[in-house]
Amino acid sequence: MLLVNNLSFFRNGIKIFEGKNLSLFEKQIIQIKGKNGVGKTTFIEVILNLLEPKTGEIFWEGKNIKKNIFKFYDQSTFIMDKNTSTRELTVIENINFWKGLSNSQLSDDVIILLLKTFNIGKYYNTKVMYLSSGETKKLELLRLIIEQKKLWVLDEPYNHLDEFSIGILNQTFIDHINNGGMIIFASHFNPNINNLKTLDFG
Amino acid sequence: MILFKKLILFFKRESKLFYSNIVDLFSNILFFFLSVFVFVFALGTDEYLLKTIGVGVIWSLLLLSSTLNLRKFYESDFENGILTIIHMGGFSLELIVILKIFSHFIFVQIPFLISLPIAGLFFNLPMHDVYILFLTFIIGSLILSCLGSISASMNLLNRTNYSIGSIIVLLFSIPLIIFSVGINNVDNSFNSLINMLFGICLIFLGISPWASAACIKLAIRNK
Amino acid sequence: MFKFLINPSRFNKFTDIILKPLFFITSLTLVVGLILVYFSPLDYQQGLTVKIMYVHVPSAWLSLLTYAIMTIYSIIGFVFKIPFGFIINKAIAPIGAVFTLLCLISGSMWGKPMWGTWWVWDARLTSVAILFIIYLVVIFLNQTFESRDLREKIVAIFIIIGSINLPIIKYSVDWWNTLHQPASVSKLSSPSIDLSMLQPLLVMTIAFSMIGIIIAILRIKAEILLRKKHL
Repeated sequence: MLLVNNLSFFRNGIKIFEGKNLSLFEKQIIQIKGKNGVGKTTFIEVILNLLEPKTGEIFWEGKNIKKNIFKFYDQSTFIMDKNTSTRELTVIENINFWKGLSNSQLSDDVIILLLKTFNIGKYYNTKVMYLSSGETKKLELLRLIIEQKKLWVLDEPYNHLDEFSIGILNQTFIDHINNGGMIIFASHFNPNINNLKTLDFG
Repeated sequence: MILFKKLILFFKRESKLFYSNIVDLFSNILFFFLSVFVFVFALGTDEYLLKTIGVGVIWSLLLLSSTLNLRKFYESDFENGILTIIHMGGFSLELIVILKIFSHFIFVQIPFLISLPIAGLFFNLPMHDVYILFLTFIIGSLILSCLGSISASMNLLNRTNYSIGSIIVLLFSIPLIIFSVGINNVDNSFNSLINMLFGICLIFLGISPWASAACIKLAIRNK
Repeated sequence: MFKFLINPSRFNKFTDIILKPLFFITSLTLVVGLILVYFSPLDYQQGLTVKIMYVHVPSAWLSLLTYAIMTIYSIIGFVFKIPFGFIINKAIAPIGAVFTLLCLISGSMWGKPMWGTWWVWDARLTSVAILFIIYLVVIFLNQTFESRDLREKIVAIFIIIGSINLPIIKYSVDWWNTLHQPASVSKLSSPSIDLSMLQPLLVMTIAFSMIGIIIAILRIKAEILLRKKHL
C-alpha cells in the first residue's frame, strides 16, 4: 500500500507543487492527470525518492520509505519517458541485464513469447540501435513484465505507441491489477480503463 | 550472494560496452602515440635528451590522453536513465561510482599499460626506468580514474564549457606527477615515494565516491 | 549575536551600520601601516627590498584565510543547508584570488633582486600557485552551469576537495627543505621576529584584511540582491 502525505516540492526557490495527498491500495490503478509542464513527472520522481521534497512523507506498507528505501525499490518498477536500453547491446542482452538487476525468475521461453506478442520477436539478437523508436519503447514497456514487481510507476507510457500497442498496454495493466498489483502513472492522455482513479494536477 | 551476482552482472555489462566500442580505446592510444611523436619532433631527436626527459614526457602525455574521454564515464548512462534503473536495482550511488571507477581502470587504463614499453622504446629509456614507469602507472592510473569520475560527475549538466572537466583532472594530478616522476630521480627513497603514491590513491578512493555521488544526485535533481 | 554571519537580512542591517565607519578606520589603519613601514628598520643583508615583506606576508596570510573561510562556509552550506554560505563562497572567491596573485607577484619582485630569480619551483611557491589555480577554477565554475542550485553546490564540493591544499601549503616549508624559511610568527611561542618589524607587519595585515572585508561586504550585498530575483 502506497501512501503520500502533504507532499510539496520546490526547485531553485520556485514552488512546483504542494499539499499533494495520494493513497493507493492493491488492485488499484491511479492516473496523475494534467497538462504539460504542470509537475507530473516531478511528482513521480519525488514519490520514488529520486528528488527531495520540501515537506511531506511517503509510506510504503506502513513504513516511511526513507527508512527502508531499498525495500521499496525491491518491489517497484519505474518506466520513464526515456529508453533505458543500452543501444550497443542486443535486445536479449538488455533483457538479461534487467532480469539480473531485479532478480526475476522469468524463463527464456516466456521472454520469447512476450517479444512475439509485442511484435518484436525477430529482434531477439539485434542491437537496440537498429530498432525504431516505437519498437524501443515497446521493449522498454516489456521491463514491466520482466521485472515481476508489485508496484508499477510509469511516466507518459502512452507516448510513441500505435493504437495496437495502446490496446495491449491497457490489457497488460488490467491483468496486473487483477493479479494483485498496483499501478501509478502520469499522462496527459486519458486511457479507457475501468475503475481508473485519478489525481488532477491542473 | 545476490549482491555478488549483481556485481558480476554490472561488470559484464560494462565489459560488453567497452568492447563494442573498442575503437574508442584504440583511438585514445593512437592519440597518445601521436602526441609522443609531436614531442619528439618538437624537442629534437637527440638521444641523451630524450633519455633524460623521457619518463616525465610519457607521464604528462598519458595524463592528457586520459582527459580526452572523460565524458564517457557517466554521460550516456545518465542521459538515457539507466543510472536511475541501476540505482533502483539495489546499488547505492556511491557503490555505482566505485564500480565505474574500477571498470574504467580495468578496461581502459590496463590496456594503456601495453603502450608504455613501446613509448619507452621511442625514448630509448633503460629497462629500469620502464619498470618503474609500469609500477607507478598502475597506481597512478587508479588515481586518474578517480579524478576522472569526479570531473565527469561534476560536468554532467555542463553544456557550454568543455575544458573545465580537463582542468579539474589536471589540477589534482599535479601531486601525482610530482611523485611518480620524482621516483625516478631519487634512488634511495623508492619505498617512501611509492608509499606516498599509495596514500594519495587511497585518499582519492575515499573522496571520489562521496564527491561523485553528491554531484550525480545534484544532476538528477536539476535535470 | 553572530546571526549576521548566517542570515542575509541581519547581515544587510549590520553592514549598513558599520560600512561608513569601516571605510574611515581602514584608511586610517592603512596610512598608519604605511608610515610604520616607512620607518621600519632596514635588513642588514637585504636593505630596502625587505619592505616588500610587508605586502607579501599579509597577502599570503589573507589568501589562506579566505580559502579557509570559503571551506567553512561550504561545509555550513552543504551540511546544514544554510544558503548564505553559498552566497559568501561566490562573493569571496575573487578576493582570495587577488590576494594570492598579489602574494605571488610581490614574491617574484622580492625574489629577483634577492635570490636572483623571478620564479623557482620550491614546494611553497608551487602549492600557492596551485591555490591560485583553484581560485580561478572556482570563479570559472561559478559562471558555468545553468541552474543556480546545481552551480553553488558543485562549487562547494570542489572547494571542500581543494581544501587539501591548505595543510600542504602550511607544512610544505617543514616537509621540504628549500627556499622559504619555517614560520616565525605563531601563537604558541613568542615570535622570533623583532618588535620593530612585527608592528608594521601586524598593522599592514589588519589594514589588508579590512580592505578585503569591505570588498567582501559590497560583493555579498550585491549577491543577496541578485538572489532576490531568483537568478
